[in-house]
Amino acid sequence: MSIARTADKFLAILLRDLRTAVRYRTGFAITAAGTLIELAAFYYLSRAIGPGFRPEGVGYFPFLLVGTGLYTFMVMAMRSFVNCVQEAQQGGTMEVLMTSSTSARVVVMLSAASALLGNSVQLILYVGTGVVLFGASMPDANWLGGLVAFGLSLLIATALGMIGAALQVAIQKGSAVLWLFGSGAWFLTGTLFPINALPKPLQFVSACIPLTHSLTAMRTALLQGAGFGSLATEIRVLALFAVVLLPAGLAVFSFCLRRARLQGTLAFY
Amino acid sequence: MDSIQLESVSKIFRHRPALSNWLGHEKRGETRALDEISLRIHGGSVLALLGPNGSGKTTLLKLIATMLLPDAGRVLVGGEDTHSAGPAIRQRVGFAVAAERSFFPRLSARENLDFFAALDNVPRRQRSERIQALLDQTGLREHADTLVMKFSSGMYQRLGVARALLKQPTVILLDEPTRSLDPTSTEEFWNLVQGFRDRGATILVATHNFEEASALGDSIAVLQAGHLADYRDLNRASTRELRSWYLEATGELAALPIAAGGWQ
Repeated sequence: MSIARTADKFLAILLRDLRTAVRYRTGFAITAAGTLIELAAFYYLSRAIGPGFRPEGVGYFPFLLVGTGLYTFMVMAMRSFVNCVQEAQQGGTMEVLMTSSTSARVVVMLSAASALLGNSVQLILYVGTGVVLFGASMPDANWLGGLVAFGLSLLIATALGMIGAALQVAIQKGSAVLWLFGSGAWFLTGTLFPINALPKPLQFVSACIPLTHSLTAMRTALLQGAGFGSLATEIRVLALFAVVLLPAGLAVFSFCLRRARLQGTLAFY
Repeated sequence: MDSIQLESVSKIFRHRPALSNWLGHEKRGETRALDEISLRIHGGSVLALLGPNGSGKTTLLKLIATMLLPDAGRVLVGGEDTHSAGPAIRQRVGFAVAAERSFFPRLSARENLDFFAALDNVPRRQRSERIQALLDQTGLREHADTLVMKFSSGMYQRLGVARALLKQPTVILLDEPTRSLDPTSTEEFWNLVQGFRDRGATILVATHNFEEASALGDSIAVLQAGHLADYRDLNRASTRELRSWYLEATGELAALPIAAGGWQ
């Protein structure tokens, strides 16, 4: 498939999502208000705890800002794949989409990419609001290092999202599995507190979750301003996760889709 | 012109109760939706699939559209097997599904068609002209910019047909295409289908309606409980003849569907 044709399809999906979002305009206001309330809560929490608490050598509010911002982005990114399938199942468009001239994998990937674009804007606004409104500062940030870590994290989220979408096709409960993963990750990956506060066995579990390494790499790059030398280990681990999980995610999705066509459960939800 | 061939095709749906239904009445079991169906539809002809509810008409269409894959046998579209050549077949098959809920409700008819046209590889330069032509042909010109959540059943049906025709398919599958249409719209629709047949498309119409089957079909296949009960070339058979033949083929007065256009 040519790049121009793929871009054309992406544009069509993006337009569909934008038009739908604009026509549900109250959703924008609610999301914005929720974000502001969350940031305010974190800001006053860090003030209540006091400036003496400096996890990984940085202020607690910037620690929370990067942690929750990236965590939310990653979970939303994974969920966007599941949502793409779930909404099509519930909206009745699943069978039609899966039998268009565009392969099902491409439809899901492009639909998720459209949602990811929205999530990226939300992440930038989230961190931007934290900096502008609540005074979080990142004077020495290594933006390039942060971008590399973010890119690899995105690939991992794509792979896990494909697995979630596959589960949604296969057992119609992909969102429940993702919710479980999200809750576990919230607790285990160092989103709210440094992982060295966890017992040793849980620290081991934490090290097996890609999001832990994403958070560590992002904080090291953006808050500590570390160079690529200090980021090398985390970047290698993230790259390894991406290389293993991406083909696995695509294979699992193709398998589940074919199974659903055989079982006649494509449109079940 | 793409011919369609079904070779001993069987499709079985297995029922496995969901966790929440284990304490309810849903039982394990299976439905043999299609059983050893063999059928050949010549390229450029119209086959009407007649049969009561649950006879397997929609399942047969879904197998040709690659929405489903057969459990046994082969479905060939233009000589290609749906098991191995799904993507290539999907480029050539347009399926007007019976379900109303297959559009994006907060998009207009034109926006919906534009979206599906992009997925169906309709070149951007041809898109708006082709969409406008289909909106005209299906009688939706006045409602082109209305959000489809405000559509009636008949309008959804017309929009479904327009969507199926977007990619200018060589195989057109129509599932009860005039179920919600008024008589005038039905006749206009039949003319539209005949126009596509004249241009060489292979068309399958699943219907309960004898009048529709005799008006559109070059041949008729009668399905009953997943079996091919009978098949015949039409040669302009009257509705009355068709009705007698159908009763003879199915042997079940109780299963007799009601024709929208009457029995005379």
